[in-house]
Amino acid sequence: MPEIGQEIRRTRRFLKERLQRDYTTLRGYEAERANVRQLLQRTAEMGESNSLLLIGPRGAGKTTLINAVLTDLLLNEAFVNNTLIVHLDGNLHTDDRIALKSITVQMRLENATDGKVFGSFAENLAFLLQCLKAGDKQSKSVVFILEEFDLFCTHHNQTLLYNLFDVSQSAQAPICVLGVTCRLDVIELLEKRVKSRFSHRQVFLFPSANKFDAYTQLFQQLMCIPSKKELDAQVDRVDSLEQFKSDAFCFKHQHFDGLEYDFDKKYTDSWNKHIAKLLKLPATQKTLQMLYDFDVSEAFLKTFLYRLVAQLKPAAPLITVEQLSALANQYESDDKVELLCGLSVIELCLIIAIKHHSQIYDRDPFNFEIVFARFSKFAKVSTTMQGVERAIVLKAFEHLRIVELIMPLSSSGMGKLQKEFEMHKLALTYGQIQQAVQRYQALPTEVAQWAQSSLI
Amino acid sequence: TRLAEGTPRRSIQLSNIVEQRIFKDDDIISTPKRARSKLAEDVDYTPKKSSQKTPTRPRRVSTAISASASKSKEQAPLTPSQKLKKIRSGELSPSMEQRCQPVDAAQKSQLQLAREQLHVSVVPKSLPCREKEFDNIYSFLEGKIEDQCGGCMYVSGVPGTGKTATVTGVIRTLQRQVEQRKLPAFEFLEINGMRLTEPRQAYVQIYKQLTGKTVTWEHAHTLLEKRFTTPAPRRTTTVLLVDELDILCNRRQDVVYNLLDWPTKAAARLVVVTIANTMDLPERVLMGKVTSRLGLTRLTFQPYTHKQLQEIVGARLAGSEAFKGEAVQLVARKVAAVSGDARRALDICRRATEIADTNEAQSSQKCVNLLHVQQALAEMIASAKVQAIKNCSRLEQIFLQAVAAEVTRTGVEETTFMGVYQQLETIVAFMGVALPAPGRALSLCAKLGAERLIISEHSRHDLYQKILLNVSTDDIHYALRVEAN
Repeated sequence: MPEIGQEIRRTRRFLKERLQRDYTTLRGYEAERANVRQLLQRTAEMGESNSLLLIGPRGAGKTTLINAVLTDLLLNEAFVNNTLIVHLDGNLHTDDRIALKSITVQMRLENATDGKVFGSFAENLAFLLQCLKAGDKQSKSVVFILEEFDLFCTHHNQTLLYNLFDVSQSAQAPICVLGVTCRLDVIELLEKRVKSRFSHRQVFLFPSANKFDAYTQLFQQLMCIPSKKELDAQVDRVDSLEQFKSDAFCFKHQHFDGLEYDFDKKYTDSWNKHIAKLLKLPATQKTLQMLYDFDVSEAFLKTFLYRLVAQLKPAAPLITVEQLSALANQYESDDKVELLCGLSVIELCLIIAIKHHSQIYDRDPFNFEIVFARFSKFAKVSTTMQGVERAIVLKAFEHLRIVELIMPLSSSGMGKLQKEFEMHKLALTYGQIQQAVQRYQALPTEVAQWAQSSLI
Repeated sequence: TRLAEGTPRRSIQLSNIVEQRIFKDDDIISTPKRARSKLAEDVDYTPKKSSQKTPTRPRRVSTAISASASKSKEQAPLTPSQKLKKIRSGELSPSMEQRCQPVDAAQKSQLQLAREQLHVSVVPKSLPCREKEFDNIYSFLEGKIEDQCGGCMYVSGVPGTGKTATVTGVIRTLQRQVEQRKLPAFEFLEINGMRLTEPRQAYVQIYKQLTGKTVTWEHAHTLLEKRFTTPAPRRTTTVLLVDELDILCNRRQDVVYNLLDWPTKAAARLVVVTIANTMDLPERVLMGKVTSRLGLTRLTFQPYTHKQLQEIVGARLAGSEAFKGEAVQLVARKVAAVSGDARRALDICRRATEIADTNEAQSSQKCVNLLHVQQALAEMIASAKVQAIKNCSRLEQIFLQAVAAEVTRTGVEETTFMGVYQQLETIVAFMGVALPAPGRALSLCAKLGAERLIISEHSRHDLYQKILLNVSTDDIHYALRVEAN
């Protein structure tokens, strides 16, 4: 049935795009959203100067909140015509010089032409401050969005932050400084005069923990196909983004666009019904609970769902609970144990020797000679390991070091000591070695027995 | 040689430009210096042909002038480098884009008016509670201007105590005195250490305020040196305000030295007012010769007490019924107990008006009461750590408990990941939760570290990374126990 196949493919693409490229839909956080929105609105309409910090853990939807608020405001003519938006990112603008050039370009000041800024750093700063000082209530409001705000605090003297906050606290052009960061103690990073100029408005975004019901609902929302009407409403919102002239919103070109999708009503109903049924199953609930216990953020669930949706194909048109739990098991599994299972037997023997040494001497560091002596004691009496040369064992030891199962005590020790004598520490727990020995395919019985006790 | 001959002459030429503003006589620019000393005695002297250029004028200047003249004819759009040249010569005034529709002043509610009055940028004409400091600075500056001598003053105090506002207030009053011809005229220059990219840019900024031109700092330095060290009749007093003095202190301290050395020159007639935060900055940071030049005329701004803060907020709200009396008092007392920062008090009041605005949209008569202020205080002063712990995922909470347990067990603040993982195994077994693998526990650790609930090293140290708790163990117990109930 090619019809069904096509429908599945379209569903998969729809869900994937919505998971990945829907930058403006925010769920929850009504109070915080209203707060930020009012602040920006007052800046734009009344020419008030403000500053705000948006704080929350990674993946809590800080950027999405700003995008959502701006998308809302862009519907408003008065906002679009009276504001400039300047976007800065602490990861990209690693010092004040670069940040200042970017501001000059984004504000379209007179010493910038086609993205190229003329003059030195000091001149740029002086010119920007003059421009802002020349402005008053009649000039356009400027909204500065500083993402990774904590990184701006590491700049020399915090010149940029001081000047932005200082403008917001004096009778100059109306600006709004909006810092976004994941550090809770970011205010402690500010210098005292910068701190005094900051208005101490902080909006905290915490994803709601202890609301597992909301989490399952989110799962349903992310997986269901919306009706035609809901899709259309979405499209209108996204269209409003297009009329904004700022380059700050590079995402608007590739924003998720529901317009391209048109689903058969019957198919939609059956898909949504299936999702609802899937959600009721205890195994699903258990899997979701497991994910929820680990990470409550929406971003984490989205990556999980993306992998789940990617498994849809015409041959398997519905998402099954088995797929769900298999994927969750992948999240649970220990990568280091997998890595151990991929080692050769000699390498595993060395790991076991290291484990014995660590157990006896209570995690004392070791070098190749110590481990080799312990290994040789075993190799002599074993039937499989007798002919192994020292050079081969050294190579195996080096391999362990390269994959970082063992780590040198000091990073600078390389070169001072011969490699046989350099001290190392073990980067594994005993439990992980135990698991690896149990799961190793076709491990010789002798090795398995030796792993249990150091006495042969 | 030609070069050795040419260099001093050119600098003399440009130093005349410095004098231009003082003499208010454009013709002097083109006159060589030797001629000017004669000319100074003869006030009514006018050159025969002011438009004619003297042959000694450097080529660069003449080309610049002819270029600008031809440009004004054509009215063609400037190329970026031409624009830059104009910016540097101060001919192009920087401007901001204008609004499409202006802010309408009509239909403002009482709360809105109060909010505007409470904004930090609205500096009142006379600062309440700073009368003594005002008089102190005023008499100092007035004396220096009347005596036409130079001097220094050092003003200190924690941020937000009204240092800059008071000094600029004094200057404004003095300027008004000048307008009424009660005081000889003076020039006012102002620089701020934090607005400079490096200390030496101070020369550039000072020179720019004198002439409007932007030159390199070396050049600006020689020109200023010339201006302040060579005696010139009819020189007016210059008042220089240096804000954030500590930023201007580099290792060599040449900038601070120069700024404070010029007032000692008889020719300069420079009065320097320096502002910084710490009281003992001259003794702690500055070198002996700089401290000596800074002198002992010092003034310290004390943090505001709750009564003063109340008065400040009250003065701004004069005549408005937007605030209840006890609400202002609560803000004043809370802020005075923490920092005595006027900016903070005003910001909290402003936030309270916003809360009142949104909370009571239905009631017609809006007024900020105690509850609104309490909410604003909670938003702006309280820490969110407990809230953050409460909103961690279950395993993150367990991890935090494990760190706290390891701290209790070892008695040392600093723990390693391995020890924490062992505690984690115990707690998890006790609570009946599946044990996360060390790799996942590491990612929990990294997540908590990003939020700064704990302080952790880079994850490449793996099991041996050191972990510090950034919240108190009491906070953890409080957050998790309250949640359990």
